[in-house]
Amino acid sequence: MRVAYFSPLPPERSGIADYSALLLPALRERLDVVTVQRGAKRAPRGTDVALYHVGNNPDAHGWIVDALRRRPGIVVLHEFVLHHLVAGLTLGRGDREGYLDAMQREAGVEGRLLAHGVVDGLLPPLWEARPHEFPLAAEILDLADGAIVHSRYVARLVRELGYRKPVWRIPFPAGADPSPTPERPGDGRPLIGCLGYLNRSKRVPQLVAAFARVRRRFPDATLLLAGAVACDLDLDEELERAALGRDEGGVVVLGYVDERRFESLLAGCDVCVSLRSPTMGETSASAIRALALGRPLVVSDVGWFAELPDGVAAKIPVDEREVEVLAGILERLASDDSLRERMSARAREHVRDEHDLERVADEYLAALEEAAGGEPVRDAVYGEVARAAYEVGLDAADPELSEIAERAGEVRLGG
Amino acid sequence: MRIAVCHAQVPFNRGGAEVLAENLVAELRRRDHAAELVTIPFKWYPGTRVLTQAFLWRLVDLEEANGEPIDLVVATKFPSYAVRHSNKVVWLVHQFRQSYDLDRTELGQFGEEPAGRATRRGVHRLDRIALGEARRLFAISGNVAERLRLTLDLEAEVLPPPPQQLDYRCEDYGDFVLSVGRLDRAKRVDLLLEAAAAEPSLRVVVVGEGPDRRRLERLAGELRLDGRVTFAGRVEEKSLADYYARCLAVYYAPVDEDFGLVPYEAFLSEKPVVTTRDAGGALEAVTDGETGVVCEPAPAAVAQACLWLAGHREEARARGLSGKELAARLTWDTTIDRLLGP
Repeated sequence: MRVAYFSPLPPERSGIADYSALLLPALRERLDVVTVQRGAKRAPRGTDVALYHVGNNPDAHGWIVDALRRRPGIVVLHEFVLHHLVAGLTLGRGDREGYLDAMQREAGVEGRLLAHGVVDGLLPPLWEARPHEFPLAAEILDLADGAIVHSRYVARLVRELGYRKPVWRIPFPAGADPSPTPERPGDGRPLIGCLGYLNRSKRVPQLVAAFARVRRRFPDATLLLAGAVACDLDLDEELERAALGRDEGGVVVLGYVDERRFESLLAGCDVCVSLRSPTMGETSASAIRALALGRPLVVSDVGWFAELPDGVAAKIPVDEREVEVLAGILERLASDDSLRERMSARAREHVRDEHDLERVADEYLAALEEAAGGEPVRDAVYGEVARAAYEVGLDAADPELSEIAERAGEVRLGG
Repeated sequence: MRIAVCHAQVPFNRGGAEVLAENLVAELRRRDHAAELVTIPFKWYPGTRVLTQAFLWRLVDLEEANGEPIDLVVATKFPSYAVRHSNKVVWLVHQFRQSYDLDRTELGQFGEEPAGRATRRGVHRLDRIALGEARRLFAISGNVAERLRLTLDLEAEVLPPPPQQLDYRCEDYGDFVLSVGRLDRAKRVDLLLEAAAAEPSLRVVVVGEGPDRRRLERLAGELRLDGRVTFAGRVEEKSLADYYARCLAVYYAPVDEDFGLVPYEAFLSEKPVVTTRDAGGALEAVTDGETGVVCEPAPAAVAQACLWLAGHREEARARGLSGKELAARLTWDTTIDRLLGP
């Protein structure tokens, strides 16, 4: 089977490009995959099915959505919140009406009014201020013959939108067994790390506040913040508010680090923290890397993160007790070596079971095979059942027909 | 309890799976349960018919019969377990193997075209749902359970079925090797015929019917086995027990078999079993040097195994007796206790 594969690819720098770089070799062992050049307008001829990787960045994914409009296929929904993408595809191309329509569809008249406010410059862009309230995912799902998602959380959101076509949940793959040389900046213990792009939705202010409490009981504790800092986050101000100084007071701040050093720093941490709220329905590659390295992980109790088994990650509720609970968990992890060891073992086991690359590639194969031949099979199966019903005199008004349809739906007879 | 035993029936075909379902019904009745065998004909070709025929089971309403509730359904092989019931137990004889381990082999069914691949996936989807909703899931062998785990990530408890009731006995370690079972390619009776061709002292009796019979008879002719191989066809229970009682050993070497009742029937007749390393579930009963001979799946190796048993009849008896101890542990009392358990 030949698959047209649309995705950002290295050297483009994006999480989805890295994802595809990891997945493609395993997929090629199972399928004839044709990667489509960036900017191509349509799928190559002779391909049985097209696979479109979609994320929220219009620069990276606009051309992919354009191709999807020309030929429906399977969409890999890497995030559920696609407001920025849709805004880029509409307003970014001068299509004011398109954006207004998308917002109206999402949130009725109120949505349209808000969109007018944005278009007229009266309100800040919603894709920056409140994207999670208006995900606009239906705009993309409408074009898809099926959707691949990474979490039960997003699968549920997709169904709640009324999407009735097939949805496959395929876990995010982990890379090969990692063995980087651990790097520990400073000599404090425990070393608590938060790595990756640092912004407010990563709950950095809450982490800093919780760490200040931890330092009172564990004066040698160190907080490592490594990654580019978003403009919505004033790190110095947050550190000052918590009476912690940059590169002193137990906080080490590194800017962007390359992938190799990222892995080494992750491996050096005693505890990794990957908080999130609001969630955009994303799966965190860096959280999976931390688990693959056997790092005890602390996450927010939301979205995909909440689906991690209890013994694998400690989950922090996003509420008024967030800082207090987070500080308590970090203190417990700092003082309990055996708990860290247990979490470490469970983390590695979980990655082996859930995020194994070969398993992920097998699940892609299953989804693509179902998708490529799904329609003729559906037609043949339902056609035969319908003929039998007609031959014995059942028609559309008969309740028996509803029951037959219900039973067919139960066993997903048509996909 | 009122229990419906569900079994997909291929008309005019009868094998171990049918024996299992009928025995289960009989044994349930013997224990004062009201048990009924429910069958629907099954045809798995062409194209997507495997799915529409499977779907027939989903339309069957077994929650009650004639106004009386049915307390339990026990479903056996594909696609009978698609049946819908609030108290469904599956005792899995086998999945639709053409969709799994036999895919892309000469015994497979689905082509490489997208519709063929998608139909195969449709079977997986149906299995995952229908087996996943069972209150308890048993498999007749470790081999079947392992396939289920590998293909659908479903865990099944292993529950081997006891062999059918026959007048088992041992009268002699005679001059022939017995093959019992349905005659189709997967049962690999041709391997025994080729072994007989390689060893002129070997006599063979083949009991059973099936679509491969004509080819096997032709092969026997080509191999000039006239007089040394008997195709007995389907025989009565008494005759079958007689064959078991008088044979030297029993040959049973299907390709990656699901389970295989035949080795246990051989053991109850105190006969050793000759099988091959790739026989799947049969290897859960036959241990080389203990209850039989496990050899390479090659005519010369099978011939040598039979010849060795012919030359070591005391050892053949000892292995048959070891097997008998193993087979005696499989009783309907324990089987039914587990099937009806909470």
